[in-house]
Amino acid sequence: MNVNDHEQRLEEVAAYAIGGLDPQQVPDFEKHLAGCKRCQEELRWLAPAVGALPEAVERQAPSPELKQRLMAEVRADAADAERQARTDEPHQRADARGGFGDWVRGLNVGGLTWKPLVGLALVILVVAGGIGYAVGNGGGSGGAHTTEVPVAANGIGAKVVTEDDRGELHLTGVKPLPKGRILEAWVEREGIVEPVPALFAPDQAGRASTTIENMKGVTAVMVTREPAGGSKKPTTKPFVAVPIET
Amino acid sequence: MPVRREKAERLADEELMPWIGRKDAEAFEVFYDRHGGAAYSLAYRILGERGAAEDCVQEAFISIWRSGGKFDPTRGSVRSWTLSIVRNRAIDVLRSKAGKAPKMTFDDDEILESRPSEELTEEEAMRHETASEVRGALSQLPDEQSKVIQLAYFGGFSQSEIAAMLNVPLGTVKGRMRLGLEKIRGELAEGLA
Repeated sequence: MNVNDHEQRLEEVAAYAIGGLDPQQVPDFEKHLAGCKRCQEELRWLAPAVGALPEAVERQAPSPELKQRLMAEVRADAADAERQARTDEPHQRADARGGFGDWVRGLNVGGLTWKPLVGLALVILVVAGGIGYAVGNGGGSGGAHTTEVPVAANGIGAKVVTEDDRGELHLTGVKPLPKGRILEAWVEREGIVEPVPALFAPDQAGRASTTIENMKGVTAVMVTREPAGGSKKPTTKPFVAVPIET
Repeated sequence: MPVRREKAERLADEELMPWIGRKDAEAFEVFYDRHGGAAYSLAYRILGERGAAEDCVQEAFISIWRSGGKFDPTRGSVRSWTLSIVRNRAIDVLRSKAGKAPKMTFDDDEILESRPSEELTEEEAMRHETASEVRGALSQLPDEQSKVIQLAYFGGFSQSEIAAMLNVPLGTVKGRMRLGLEKIRGELAEGLA
């Protein structure tokens, strides 16, 4: 290759770096690049200039919903990956605890018995695999602790991730809410059910998450559909119930 | 065991990527918080529509998440790698919309000046400075050089397309592109000196 030919190649480096090389020229150029130290150096030299171009763009703020949608998808993927990992290796799926049935039967909401709700809560878990639930512990001090109810016949999956005293409840497969309804989570602590202040709703993909600020002493997390604004006591049957190992 | 949010926030981008590779949602959230704004700004600059820009960013970030954060440190910084993924996806979207002309304004007055410098972290301040340098370099470029760079990078046009569009020889476009990019690079080098 003579000097003029190479000068032409150097011009192609700039076009290649900026994404402006004609597509049909790219394979040939990349072949040349692989064996040409000078062009490789030129490309390395120009890279920061190309990388800096987007930094000069007027800054725009994406909507908060973008992050919510993105993280809902990411968390659902992460939950799937966790579930898959547990399936793939000999796992320690917790046996159904006799205590859970006792817990549901004895559930008391400030005097309101949850006995009529037992059937539905158990259906979710029974269909999901023998009222089984999986517990994953990251280990180490302050590590996250995950309690998960596999996807049930109604298509809803639930996971509670606890770290220190804070918890996050993640649901998948939740159908859109009727107008004027909202999701409300409840925690059971020493046999008493309390509302979780943060109301939440499913996104378009059917994923819904909320934060439980205080998980201390919580033995179960449930979710009901409530009128917009939430309720002090559950007004509908829980469609999700996740027992928490204490 | 997932990385804790506070710990993830202290990690450098390059250290975050292995966590993302292990499907750690907390690490990914920190990654998005750091680069989502710039990614969206770039996508919006290219596509000119909020909805399309958000879809583009969501798809790009999900592809990073699902590919396990496969980042090659020999090919530049995590940020430039991320933004190149967003840029390529936005250009694909642009090309798929037949007949749609790219947004071509590059008004210097519009360019980044979003927050007062005292609110910026050290890293953000550096980016802010870089933005100022690039803005300065672009403003000093002859119009014809600036235009070919913008058409190629933000419009996704190839040299041949630009030559036809501007009705100039292909060699002229190549020369302008190289000269313009080298001037920006030189400006950045001076800023670092």
